[in-house]
Amino acid sequence: MSNGRQIGEVILDLQNISLRFGGVKALTDISFDVREHEIRAIIGPNGAGKSSMLNVINGVYRPQEGTIVFRGKKRHDMDTHEAAEAGFARTFQNIALFKGMSVLDNLMTGRNLKMKSNFLLQALYWGPAQREELAHRRKVEEVIDFLEIEHIRKTPVGRLPYGLQKRVELGRALAAEPKVLLLDEPMAGMNVEEKQDMCRFVLDVNDHFGTTIVLIEHDMAVVMDISDRVVVLDYGKKIADGTPDEVRNNEDVIKAYLGVAH
Amino acid sequence: MLYREAGQFKASYKEDQQIFPIRQDRIAIALILAFFYLGVPYFASQYWLQGIMIPVLIFSLAAIGLNILTGYAGQLSLGSAAFMAVGAFAAYNFVLRVPGMPILVAFVLAGLCAAAVGMVFGLPSLRIKGFYLAVATLAAQFFIVWALTKFPWFSNHSSSGVITAQKVVILGYVFETPEAKYLLTLGVVTVLALLAKNMVRSSIGRSWMAIRDMDVAAEVIGIRPMHTKLMAFAVSSFYCGVAGALYAYTYLGTVEPEGFNLDLSFRILFMVIIGGVGSIMGSFLGAAFIVLLPIFLNISMHMLGDWVPQGLASNLELIVFGGLIIFFLIVEPHGLARLWQIGKEKLRLWPFPH
Amino acid sequence: MQFFFEVLIGGLLSGVMYSLVALGFVLIYKASGVFNFAQGAMVFFAALTFVGITEMGVPFGFALILALGAMILLAIATERVVLRPLVNQPQITLFMATIGLTFLVEGLAQGMWGASVRGLEIPGIQDEPIEWMMENTGIGVSKFDLFAAGVSAVLVVVLAIFFNKTRVGRALRAVADDHQAALAIGIPLQDIWRIVWAVAGLVALVAGVMWGARNGVQFALTFVALKALPVLIIGGFTSIPGAIVGGLIIGASEKLGEIYIPPFVQSTFGIETSLGGIEGWFPYVMALIFLLVRPEGLFGEKHIDRV
Repeated sequence: MSNGRQIGEVILDLQNISLRFGGVKALTDISFDVREHEIRAIIGPNGAGKSSMLNVINGVYRPQEGTIVFRGKKRHDMDTHEAAEAGFARTFQNIALFKGMSVLDNLMTGRNLKMKSNFLLQALYWGPAQREELAHRRKVEEVIDFLEIEHIRKTPVGRLPYGLQKRVELGRALAAEPKVLLLDEPMAGMNVEEKQDMCRFVLDVNDHFGTTIVLIEHDMAVVMDISDRVVVLDYGKKIADGTPDEVRNNEDVIKAYLGVAH
Repeated sequence: MLYREAGQFKASYKEDQQIFPIRQDRIAIALILAFFYLGVPYFASQYWLQGIMIPVLIFSLAAIGLNILTGYAGQLSLGSAAFMAVGAFAAYNFVLRVPGMPILVAFVLAGLCAAAVGMVFGLPSLRIKGFYLAVATLAAQFFIVWALTKFPWFSNHSSSGVITAQKVVILGYVFETPEAKYLLTLGVVTVLALLAKNMVRSSIGRSWMAIRDMDVAAEVIGIRPMHTKLMAFAVSSFYCGVAGALYAYTYLGTVEPEGFNLDLSFRILFMVIIGGVGSIMGSFLGAAFIVLLPIFLNISMHMLGDWVPQGLASNLELIVFGGLIIFFLIVEPHGLARLWQIGKEKLRLWPFPH
Repeated sequence: MQFFFEVLIGGLLSGVMYSLVALGFVLIYKASGVFNFAQGAMVFFAALTFVGITEMGVPFGFALILALGAMILLAIATERVVLRPLVNQPQITLFMATIGLTFLVEGLAQGMWGASVRGLEIPGIQDEPIEWMMENTGIGVSKFDLFAAGVSAVLVVVLAIFFNKTRVGRALRAVADDHQAALAIGIPLQDIWRIVWAVAGLVALVAGVMWGARNGVQFALTFVALKALPVLIIGGFTSIPGAIVGGLIIGASEKLGEIYIPPFVQSTFGIETSLGGIEGWFPYVMALIFLLVRPEGLFGEKHIDRV
C-alpha cells in the first residue's frame, strides 16, 4: 500500500506499558513501535485494551509501568497537553465533538495551540488578532475542502448525522496538522459508502501530508487493506505484531479473534 | 425592506468573520444603538431612566459576566453578586484612598480586583464540576459578604459596612442627572458587551465552549483546562465587578454588603437562564425581563385593587420566577435569545412558509 | 475543658439537624441523580404547612399526617411537572430546575400560610438542660437537642430497614445503581421517583418540625438548610452514613470554630472589632478545602472518566 511515501524511522516506541484501574489490569507489559509515515493498526476483540492503549499514547491515562519514547525523547508518561503540542491529534470511539459549536468552530479549536495572540487583542478583535484569526480560518477552510464538508460549515455539530460527525471529528484532528493521528474506530457504525469515503480520507491524509496514523478498527477487511503493520491485543496483552499477512496467518490471532470472525 | 441574506456574497473570510455578517443586522444594530443613545435620554422620564434603564443595563453586564462563566465555559456559579460587591467596594476604596483617581480607571481596577478574587474562588473548578462547583461558589458568596461587613477598613469604618459612592466626575464634568448617569452606564456596557462578543467568537471563546461541551476532547486538542477555566472565572468576575461598581455609582449611590446577597446571585442566574445560556444578546433580554417582571406584577396587583392580600405580590414574584425557570428549562433551554433567533429565521423566509 | 465539651456536644447535636436535611438530598440523588437544591425549601414548606394546620386547631399527631399528605402531593406534582419533562437532560439542567423549584415552593408556602415567624412546640419537650447530666458532669445538654438526635436516629434506622428489607427499597437501590437496567427489568421509574421524593418530603417534615421547634418557623430555615450542601461534599453525595457523619462534622466544627477562631484571628492581627458570625461561611470553606483534598467525599465512590 505504499504510494511512493517513504516509511521512515521509528518515531514512537512504547516499551513494557502496563496500566491498571484499581485492581483491574487494562494493559499488561505491551511493547510496540510506530514508524514515521506508516499506517499502524491496533486490533483485538472487545475489551482487549485498544482504546486504553490510545489513551496512554496521548496522555489521557497514565500507565503505572513502562516507557514511551517519542522522537528520541524518553518519558514515563505523556501529559495530554504536551502530547498535543508534540503533534498528536486524535478522534474518539464515541464521537467527542463540541456539540454546541458549529463545524467551523469545532475545526478552529484544532488550531488553538497555534494561535498566539493574547486575549486582550482578541477582545478588541484588532490588528494581529484579526489577521491571525483569518490566517487560521484559511487553513481550516483547506481541511473543510479536503473533507468535502463545505455545505455544513456553519451547522451546529449536534444537528449532523452520525457519519458526518465522524468526518468533522477527523477534520478537527486534521486542523491541528498533526504528526501522528490517532483514530479510534473511525468507521464504526458507518454504512459501506461512508466507510469507503472514510478509507479514502485516511489514505489521502497519509499520502498527501505524510501523517503517521495509528488506528483502531473492527472491520478486518479495512484493516488488512489499508494498514502497513498491525498489532493484535487480547485481554490487555499483545499476541501478535507484523504485516497484515503475517498477522492473518498467526495462530494465536486466529484463535483469539479471526477464528471467531470467520 | 426584506430581511434576506440572499445576494450578499462574502468575497473574503474577513467579511464572513464580521461581528454581524448580514447587512440588515448591521442596520438594525445601528438603529438600536441610536435609539438607546439618542432617543431614550430624550424621551424617557427620570423614573424610567433611574429606576429601569440603568438597572437593566447594569444587570445585563452582570449577566454577561455570569453567561461567560456558565453559558460559555460551563461552570455554574451561585456567587455572582459577591463579585459585584467586590467591584463596588474596590471602586469605592480606590477613589477614596488614591488622590486624583479617575473614575473610569477606578472601575477598571475594581473589575481587576473582582477578577483576582474570582480566580481564587475558581481554583476548585480545576478539580470539581457541576453542582459540586456550585456549592463551592456559595463559599465565595457567603465569605465575601461577611468579610466586607466585618472588616471595617473596606467601608472606611462606617456602620454595618454601608458605603456612599463618591461623585462621578470625568474630565471636570459631574454626572448627576439621571440622563448623564444613564449615558455613562450605557457607554461602559456597550464597550464591554462588544468586547465580550469578540471574546466569545475568537479562540478564547472557543476554548471556553470546548471545555464546556467535552472537557477531555478539549484537553486532547491542546486546550489547557486550568488556564481556560481560570480565565473564564477572571473575565466573568471582571464583568460582575464592573457591574457592581456601576451599581454603586450610577444606580443606588449607597450600598451595603448585605445588598449583594444570595438572592441577587440567583436573580442574575435567572437572567442568564431566561435570557439565553451562551448568548450575549440573551443577557440583555434576560436582565430586562427580570427587572421588568416584578414591576409588571406590582402594577397588575394594584389594578386588581384592595382585595389582594398583603404580601401576595412578593410571593407571587417567587412563584412566577420559579415557575418560569422550570418552564424555560423544559420548553426553551436557550431562552429568549433562541426565540429571537427563531423570529429572525422566520423573517428570513417571510412571506414564504418554508 | 468543660466548656469545650459543652460546645462540642451542642455542635454535634445541631449537626444532627444538618444530617437530616442532607439525608433528603442523598435519597433523591441516589434514586434519580438529581441534586435537589429545593430540599431546604421543602423543609420550610413542610414546617410552615404543619404550623399552619395546627393553628387551625388540629391536634399535633393529625397535623403531622396532614402535612405528610401535603409533602406527598408536592412529590407527585414535582415528578409530573419538573422531573418527567426533563428526564435525560444533563444533571446541571435538572439542578437549575430545582433552583427554580426552590423559589416556587417558597412562594407557595408563604402564599398559603403567610410570611410571619411562627413558634412551634413539641408537647412535653422543652429546650432546657438535662438535670442529672448537669449535676454529675457540669455539662449542659438540652433535652430538646437530645430528643431531636433520638428522632433522627430512629428515622435513619427506619430508612435503612426500608431500603434493605422491603421490595420497594430494593427497587430503589436498583434504580440508583443503573437506571437503564432497572427499566429493563420492569421497575417503573416514575413510581420510584414519586416514592423517593415523598420519602424526602417525610425527612423534610421531620427536619422542619425539629428545626421549627428550636428556632421558630421562618424563612431563615431555607438558609440553614443550605448548610446541608457542605455536609454532602464532606460526606459524599451517595452515602447515607456520609450524610450523618458529615452533618456531625459540620455541626461540631462550625460551633467550635465560632468560639475559637475569631478571638484567635483578632489577637493575631490586632483587630479590635468583633469577627463573629463565621458560621455563615465556615462550613462552605471547610467543604472547599475538603474538595481539594478528597473530591469524592469521605464515603463517596471514586469515579473514573471513560473516553
